[in-house]
Amino acid sequence: MNLTNLAALAAELLLMPLLAFSIGLFLVLLMRRIGARLQRRVGPPFFQPLADIVKFYAKETQISHGLIHDIGIVMAVGGYVAAEALLPMPGMNGLADKGDVLTLIYFLMIPSLGLALGVGQCANPNGSIGISRALTAMVAYDIPFVIVIFGVAWHYGTTNLVDMIAMQQAAGWGLWDMPLLAVAGLLSLQGMLGKQPFEIYVAPAEIATGPMVEMGGKYMGGLFVMQAFQLYTAGALYATLFLGGGDGHWPTFLLQVFVVMAIPMSIAFQFPRYRTEQMISWFWRWPVALGLAGIALVMHF
Amino acid sequence: MTPLDTLFILSACTLAVAWAFGRRPAAGGLIAVLYGGQILALAKMSGLASGALTMIAASPSFEVLGQALSWRFDGPAWFFALITLGAAFASAWFMAGEWGEGYRRKGGRLGLLQVALALNVSSMLLLLASGDLLSLFIGWELMSWASFLLMLSAGGVAVRWAFKYLIYALGGAMALLGALAWIHAQAGSLQYAAVAGLFATLSPGQAWTLVLAFAAGFGIKMALLPFHLWQGPAYAETPGPGSAFLGAISSRMGLFGILVVLVHLAGLDLLDRLLIPFTHLDARDLLGWVGAFTLIVPTFIAVRQHDARHLLAWHGIGQGGYMLIGVMQGDALGSAGGLLHVFNYATYQAALFLVVTAVVHRTGTADLNKLGGLVTRMPLSFLVMLVGIIGLAGLPPMNGFVSKWLIYRDLISSGRPLMFVATVIGTLGTIISVYKLIHNTFLGQLRMEHEDIREAPWSMLAPMLGLIVIVFLTGLMPGLVLDWIAPVQAALGLPVLDHSLGGVDLPNGGLDMLWVVGLLFAGFGVGALLFLAGNRHRYVHPLDNYAGGHFLTTEVRYHYSDDFYPGLMHLIGGWYRGSIQWLERALVSALDFLAQWSQAWFRSAQPALWLLGVTVFALWWVV
Repeated sequence: MNLTNLAALAAELLLMPLLAFSIGLFLVLLMRRIGARLQRRVGPPFFQPLADIVKFYAKETQISHGLIHDIGIVMAVGGYVAAEALLPMPGMNGLADKGDVLTLIYFLMIPSLGLALGVGQCANPNGSIGISRALTAMVAYDIPFVIVIFGVAWHYGTTNLVDMIAMQQAAGWGLWDMPLLAVAGLLSLQGMLGKQPFEIYVAPAEIATGPMVEMGGKYMGGLFVMQAFQLYTAGALYATLFLGGGDGHWPTFLLQVFVVMAIPMSIAFQFPRYRTEQMISWFWRWPVALGLAGIALVMHF
Repeated sequence: MTPLDTLFILSACTLAVAWAFGRRPAAGGLIAVLYGGQILALAKMSGLASGALTMIAASPSFEVLGQALSWRFDGPAWFFALITLGAAFASAWFMAGEWGEGYRRKGGRLGLLQVALALNVSSMLLLLASGDLLSLFIGWELMSWASFLLMLSAGGVAVRWAFKYLIYALGGAMALLGALAWIHAQAGSLQYAAVAGLFATLSPGQAWTLVLAFAAGFGIKMALLPFHLWQGPAYAETPGPGSAFLGAISSRMGLFGILVVLVHLAGLDLLDRLLIPFTHLDARDLLGWVGAFTLIVPTFIAVRQHDARHLLAWHGIGQGGYMLIGVMQGDALGSAGGLLHVFNYATYQAALFLVVTAVVHRTGTADLNKLGGLVTRMPLSFLVMLVGIIGLAGLPPMNGFVSKWLIYRDLISSGRPLMFVATVIGTLGTIISVYKLIHNTFLGQLRMEHEDIREAPWSMLAPMLGLIVIVFLTGLMPGLVLDWIAPVQAALGLPVLDHSLGGVDLPNGGLDMLWVVGLLFAGFGVGALLFLAGNRHRYVHPLDNYAGGHFLTTEVRYHYSDDFYPGLMHLIGGWYRGSIQWLERALVSALDFLAQWSQAWFRSAQPALWLLGVTVFALWWVV
């Protein structure tokens, strides 16, 4: 690797998380605006997400329950910052050649682990129940999600996201070849984002927002940043797997990310909350069945 | 004298020292040094690991009843011996200081523990070195009895489980002995070459019988389904360092047996030819699926444990499933993943058992309902457990991720969706279970009686920290261990994985952990900067928190482990039927009934009448 390549890579590694975060902030805004429209409100102004983060980080009262609480937040944010370099953007591949889609999905568990550790040290029963529910939710949605990952990787014959994008640019979107997997993926996304009807681990009226209960100031701010990253990552990963990653063009890519994310958000505001066991049985039934049917379709036709 | 002789002599010396002085805590250091010496002797044979040498023989060889017995080390033996000695070294070091003294003070027989450990190591080395099926069987039996002794050494409740192990182990040994006797009758020899030749000429029925006998014999040691019931409690009830050793490597001897006999001598091609009627499956698929169920079922049994030692021991069984799946895949990627997992698993499992033992040493309990909040008192132990569980759960940046990644990747490229989903279900079960472990031990509320707990002493911390350094470094540079695995694959007749220091470079999706780990820590750095950019925080007491209008005090306990995942158990709780437990109990009752019946028959029938009957019959026959 020569010096120019190295400099280009360094620039990508800096830009990718920064862009992901900025797009994520817009997605937060989108989510709030959709919610507002559906509830016939005006919704927040354009800079509200950024203002919220600044406010959280600048608050005077910042309460920690110990070092692991702090480290948990660092892991939650840092894990996503790192993960963005494994997820290609138009014109930038980052380190996607060094870690494939499997590495990416296991990377995405690190922020959750960090959050779980941080909440654990808070010694709050609500937080602890929230984490227990969040991990249960993961068991629910991850099974259909990995089925989707398998089907997609088998279809493209690679686990490298860069290759997947290139193949779709040559032969058309994965969505058309794998419609069932695309639907199963979208359903899994709903759980992964923890949106209604699957927001069992936040459950404000039941367990006082669960993992967030002891989070204030920059701790809550960290979770806010994490949410922005999470929304972007989910949308971009979906666009990469099924929509050709915007065919390498930024406007298309952004449009795809926003459209993909608008679907779970719109669904979310229509629904009340499921119980935990309802969520598991739902995920193990419908998206799993769809995903397996999708794999059968991909492997045999 | 060959380097292998040196190793055996050192191993015998260790055993002798353990026998003579093992009960004195002061001798613990010497014993640990002797294990270190054995590792050095193994390092002298590193030509086996680099592929420069294929075999180093031991000088002694015998002839018994026309069968030549010989011992030698090759690539696989070296690799498994390294893990064995490493686990023994860490356990012995852990025992050498305060733990040994405490164990003895509480009435434990330290000498017996040391002897049992040394005996385990010696017999396992002998097993690994076996050059023919007869010496393999001798090593196998010695090892089985040695691990029985180690499990027994705590006395009390452990005895019951040790005996249960013994019954299973004897059953396995009978299967092996039967297979050996049949092979000897057919081939007239138990030399590896003759056995491999015999396998090539068998009819499908004969081959099935032999494969099943060997798979059952070795599988019982690995606690493969449906023989999994003995291992969890038996390992968990063994005294701490002993359980770390057993948990790390002992069951893997079963895998070693499968590698030598089924993969190398019989060959995976033979397994492919043994079809299961009315299905698309063959013997190799069968073993792969046994691995998958061994992964899932014990892992979800572990989720329900509320004793930390039992939880870990059940996970140990589950992790063996990954290894078997990987090996049965049989290609370069999968088998390397399975073999790498043997090493990786041993490092973090030993660390986890040791840290739980350290917690027991300080608090007196491994009950997850009675612990919590210890991170502020034992921060380094927390770090050990954290690294250990990240390894066990198979998340980056620890080494467990790499071996699992190789297996996942291979299952994708060979097009096995259900097996792939099974491995991920195992991982998810592991994640939820290990979070419960670390949360209920180190996070959450600190109990009043644990206010004055101190960090574990350095004699215990040092080996644990050493182990987690290995867990991290071999995660960062998996190529170090993959270098040792290449000769193992070559010696077993498996394709060799092409790798680099950071992982594997595949054209369609590779892995370079040097970059991945660097990236992750860079991300953490950014996260930390962002955290520090916020306003200054202050620390408050853990009880100073929001609980919906209630006040939390140390009297109000909220730690629980019995139903930590109520939503999940609400759904899958009914699936824990205990069918195999039921089957085991039914077998025991049936045997018991038969025994009682025959005894009653023998006692109640009229002996005089029987004697008369037999005499009349004999007279009639004579006449």
